[in-house]
Amino acid sequence: MKNGLPLDNACKTFEEDLVLHYYGENNSVERRRVEQHLSICHGCQSFVDDLYRVLPPMAEQQKLPQTFWDNYYRETVAKLAEQDERKHWWRTWLAPMKTWMVPAFGTAAVGVLAVTLLLGKVNISTDSNPVNIPQDVLADSNQLEFFQSLDMLESLDKLDDQDSNKPEAKTSKLMNRQNAPASA
Amino acid sequence: MVESEGLRDEELVGFCQRGQSQYFEPLVQRYMQKAFHIAFGFTRETESAKDLSQDAFLRAFARIKQFDGRSSFYTWFYRILVNLCLDHARHHSKVAWESLDSLSEVPGAERQFADTRSQPDQEAIAGEASRRAGEALEAMPNKQRTAFMLRNDQGLSIADIAKVMKTTEGTVRVYLHRAVAALRQSLVEFV
Repeated sequence: MKNGLPLDNACKTFEEDLVLHYYGENNSVERRRVEQHLSICHGCQSFVDDLYRVLPPMAEQQKLPQTFWDNYYRETVAKLAEQDERKHWWRTWLAPMKTWMVPAFGTAAVGVLAVTLLLGKVNISTDSNPVNIPQDVLADSNQLEFFQSLDMLESLDKLDDQDSNKPEAKTSKLMNRQNAPASA
Repeated sequence: MVESEGLRDEELVGFCQRGQSQYFEPLVQRYMQKAFHIAFGFTRETESAKDLSQDAFLRAFARIKQFDGRSSFYTWFYRILVNLCLDHARHHSKVAWESLDSLSEVPGAERQFADTRSQPDQEAIAGEASRRAGEALEAMPNKQRTAFMLRNDQGLSIADIAKVMKTTEGTVRVYLHRAVAALRQSLVEFV
């Protein structure tokens, strides 16, 4: 109801275009089409007139005093600083240290690291000492050497056998026997 | 505050991304009023609007390295803010409609819909119009209300609203049309 009269309705096919027309969001072709229609349609013209009355007051933002904005800005910046500080907590932790303490702390840390590495190396070298090898493992290795020597002896016997079975050896013996009476 | 005059938003963001966090302060200065008014459109309470909009700045600052420059800073920031406001609206489905009379409790605050020199009956009409506007906005689906406030109150283009709301321009046009038609229906007798 407007002044006791029913509200004029815009043409359904135009209503969305009228809203865009009000906000200046339609292109030149659409704008011309809407303007032509408005010149002949009372309902759509009334709709647009209402928009020009209703919407601008709603866009007006409450005007708050400058002190409000000053406080707002100060509070926000303080919250940002607090958040930033929380992100870099270690800076706060180091902050009470005197300036000479930081390099001293660094040097001490490097020293401790070097000693740790050195000790670690010594341990590695002592680990390789055969004294630490378990006895059963050592016994196993001695046994292995023993068996290897047995193998070697066995192979020597085989060589002797081969030598004794060779035909060349037989012929040479025969020749020795033949030459013996001649010489005799 | 750092010297920021003549620096574009994206340049300020670049400084922040390189660890110079003090360059975020000019961004707060530039957008605090708009951010507050958007939040106020959702909450209708000064304190809640202040908290929400400040929270949006804190979130933007915490995520500043994620800003990749594909959109403008304000589009990116408004998206953070609008998401916070929509979350707030979901958790507080009944908007506590702060009347424009109570806004005037903030010293120096002026009223909408009212001529400061108007007579008492005109002030009453303005108060009623404001209340109706509030009810109409409250009755709207959140997305319609968002589209309307970003266009009507903040002056964002439909293309930018689509980016903020992560939707299509066509959808924003529909939201805007429905919101405006509803408001006209509610308010026309008062203007």
